[in-house]
Amino acid sequence: MATYPFGSLPMSTLEMASGDDPRLESVSAERFRAISELDDIDELVRLHQARIRRFVLYSTGDRDLAETVTQDTLLRAYRGRESFRGDCSVSTWLTGIAINVTRDHLRSNRFKFWKQVQSKGVDVHEMASFLPSEAVSPERQTLAKERVKDLYKVLETLSHNQRTIFLMKFSEEMSVDEISEILGMAVNTVRTHLHRALKAVRSRVGASL
Amino acid sequence: MTRGLSRHLSEEALDDVLIGLGSAESESHLARCAECRFKIEQFGADVDLFNKASMAWSEAQPARAVRPARMTPKLRMPVAFAGSVAAVILAIAVAVSVWHHEHSFVANDGGGNDQPAVDSQAQIAQDNELMQAVDAAISPQEESPIDEYDLSESPRKHWKTRPK
Repeated sequence: MATYPFGSLPMSTLEMASGDDPRLESVSAERFRAISELDDIDELVRLHQARIRRFVLYSTGDRDLAETVTQDTLLRAYRGRESFRGDCSVSTWLTGIAINVTRDHLRSNRFKFWKQVQSKGVDVHEMASFLPSEAVSPERQTLAKERVKDLYKVLETLSHNQRTIFLMKFSEEMSVDEISEILGMAVNTVRTHLHRALKAVRSRVGASL
Repeated sequence: MTRGLSRHLSEEALDDVLIGLGSAESESHLARCAECRFKIEQFGADVDLFNKASMAWSEAQPARAVRPARMTPKLRMPVAFAGSVAAVILAIAVAVSVWHHEHSFVANDGGGNDQPAVDSQAQIAQDNELMQAVDAAISPQEESPIDEYDLSESPRKHWKTRPK
């Protein structure tokens, strides 16, 4: 029997299953799309490199670490693509890998943490300058940049867990259950971290404006 | 949840809505309260700006090639081969050792003595030789310190000649 990514389920079985039920058809289509995405390393990089780099950078504050983790994550995903079960999106799966790779690097003590890496961290002014103009007035642009800087500065003050969970929720758009599963953390703990992060962000972003 | 019918959502209730765990009561309040709705929308707008700027920054970073390194079978074969050889030698050593001891018992049974025979010096030397061969086969890649540091088997070679 031929083997396929996502386990040993033969293609014909998937095709037969999808033929009867429209829900299964959409699931299969999603899985087949994921197969092609994971089988092509160039496509994997094109679709996910920037997103993973952003997530790791703003989670750890370390530019070098973000680059290393992004590379490692994409390589691990490509090499381990047959272990992808298709029960979540490729994007969520990659974020989980990125979190594990980041943990490995941080454990190894080769990298310093958030506060110690400001010199090679994020240049918030540079980042804010990438804000798309979207045809608004210069005044609004300035205001928007200030709010982006404010949000970033508040994120800097959060604990690593709070910041990572905030980014998973509001940048990676994951559900609380997905975050809980990926981090191996109880749902209530995830909610507590989110509440604390939100309290800090909502009380301080825009407060100085 | 709300601070009275005419009041606004509490901070906690607002956070629950943002997390996606808002109650039906909160959703209902939001539908008719422009002030609370504004807070939710303002937060969403701020996060959206941050996401757009950070993503645009990340996309603008110079792309680095991600290439999986080719797996080299050269590394795997010698290890597998050495393992197999070691397993075979170990099996032979165990078999020889068992046979050797059984043979000793049989030889002593003729004399009516139930105690196992005491190994002779020659047998001990033979066993040691065998175990050294097994040891060498199990870890063939470990270089002997004598070879590694180019030391002589005889320490006398390095002794300084004492003045007479």
